Amino acid sequence: MAEYDDKIQAFIHAGFPSPANDYMTQAIDLNKELVRHPAATFYGRVVGDSMIDAGVEEGDILVIDKSLEPQDGDMAVCFVDGEFTLKHLRFGTEPGSDRRRLTLVPANDRYPCIEVEEGTDFKVWGVVTYVIKKIR
Amino acid sequence: MYALVDCNNFFVSCERVFRPDLEGKPVVVLSNNDGCVVSRSNESKAMGIKMCTPFYQVKHFVDGGRLTAFSSNYALYGDLSGRVMSILAEAVPEIEIYSIDEAFLHLEGMDPSGIPALCRKLVDKVRTWVGVPVSIGVAPTKTLAKIASHFAKTYKGYKGVCIMDTPEKRCKALSLTPIDEVWGIGRRLAPKLMDRGIRTASDFAQRPREWVAANMNVNVLRTWEELNGVRCVEEEMLERRQSICTSRSFADMIEDPHELQLRISDFAAMCASKLREEGSAASQVTTFMYTNRFREDLDQYYPSATVCLEVAANNTQEIVSAALKGFRTIFREGYKYKKAGVIVSEITSADAIQTSMFDFEEEKRRKHDRISKVMDSFNSSGSLLRLGTQRPGHYADGIRSDFRSPLYTTDLDDIIEVR
Repeated sequence: MAEYDDKIQAFIHAGFPSPANDYMTQAIDLNKELVRHPAATFYGRVVGDSMIDAGVEEGDILVIDKSLEPQDGDMAVCFVDGEFTLKHLRFGTEPGSDRRRLTLVPANDRYPCIEVEEGTDFKVWGVVTYVIKKIR
Repeated sequence: MYALVDCNNFFVSCERVFRPDLEGKPVVVLSNNDGCVVSRSNESKAMGIKMCTPFYQVKHFVDGGRLTAFSSNYALYGDLSGRVMSILAEAVPEIEIYSIDEAFLHLEGMDPSGIPALCRKLVDKVRTWVGVPVSIGVAPTKTLAKIASHFAKTYKGYKGVCIMDTPEKRCKALSLTPIDEVWGIGRRLAPKLMDRGIRTASDFAQRPREWVAANMNVNVLRTWEELNGVRCVEEEMLERRQSICTSRSFADMIEDPHELQLRISDFAAMCASKLREEGSAASQVTTFMYTNRFREDLDQYYPSATVCLEVAANNTQEIVSAALKGFRTIFREGYKYKKAGVIVSEITSADAIQTSMFDFEEEKRRKHDRISKVMDSFNSSGSLLRLGTQRPGHYADGIRSDFRSPLYTTDLDDIIEVR
């Protein structure tokens, strides 16, 4: 938006509209493409390497959509033990009962899976929809 | 019917979105300069901490680890407020943003049987999408909707939605509402009414109209009517406003940002002029825009943004700058806007403006005030004078905020860290 700052020095109606305006189409807007629900979209930055095998590295920016219902296989930002953590979600039922169980699965062998009991003080904070990497 | 949507303990709830560990724990948010408590979680209310308690009186709780305190993070609250309002605006034909954390929904023409489900859906949606809890009160008048929302918030059984749709429910609620909690009565008038034996909203509503008309001013009479289910408080009612709104629907839809900025700066200038007229000043400036909801073939977008001034102002320069700052955060290319407006709220008397201890901008402000006076005299001659350059000021410079949380949603360097 900074470009408008400079253009708007004076509020004066003047001049003819450019005839090219009639032929303008919208340029690709990544905000619109990557942010499906603006009211529910937040961003996070990856710290550490717990999802390295899924191609998610330290410094990557996560696009997090809180409006989405978490589903099996989603990559999600979860709140565990006082911090935000990035994991894959695995939904299942406990053997011999119909209690739902959720497992948080890292994409790095050096990190353990985390079993989550239903009703514990645990939170899927939001589902990750895009990972943005800086290449150069 | 009106629905009042009220965000519960809004500033505290905003902080908790990014600090889920603070759910269920005592939390307060402090005013400008960390002066006093302006938002409390239910747990800190239960500790006996009152609104506007000076921070030094509760600091020992913080030092002892029993209370978490935050400096105001207006950028965060403004952003989350805009998200809440856009969700509400999408759900109903008309919404009136009343303050940073409250909005009236106009439910005219809706099937009454569908209203409870709609409200429940909105409570869940705002909680899931944005992360803040809201309460909704539905009633035939705004004053009653306010009371209903209070019930929705206070009593767990309502699960956040209280529909006051029958005379029986209304009577019950009014008899449980102390007179000083009624919207439009206020602290000054309440003792006078209590002296006359009026303790509850119900006592007041049951007085004969003639008695109220003879003994009270016209605003109080309006409140009496509203409590009895007669709609009196309309949009932009001037007498007891806590906010001033200037908005217009455009004859043609506008998508050019320059044109929109021009309109919005005019709206903001009008708000500033109205503030000066009545000798008041505002510390919140909300900019909103709506696309045309009746054009289903077009993309829809109903954004709003609230910018908080560190010190209440009524000069054109500051109000317009704040409105344009809000505009810049919400404007998106590719939408055709049908309506836009500016709301100034958190209004105080201009004489009673609390300047913060570190108001380095005071000299600049005096200059702005002088310019505004010149503009007023010029504009009253029938022409419209506009400011040439309008840039967002940095009002936060030099303000004490030792406990401010990161700018999670407005600064890419401050987004949450995920491990």
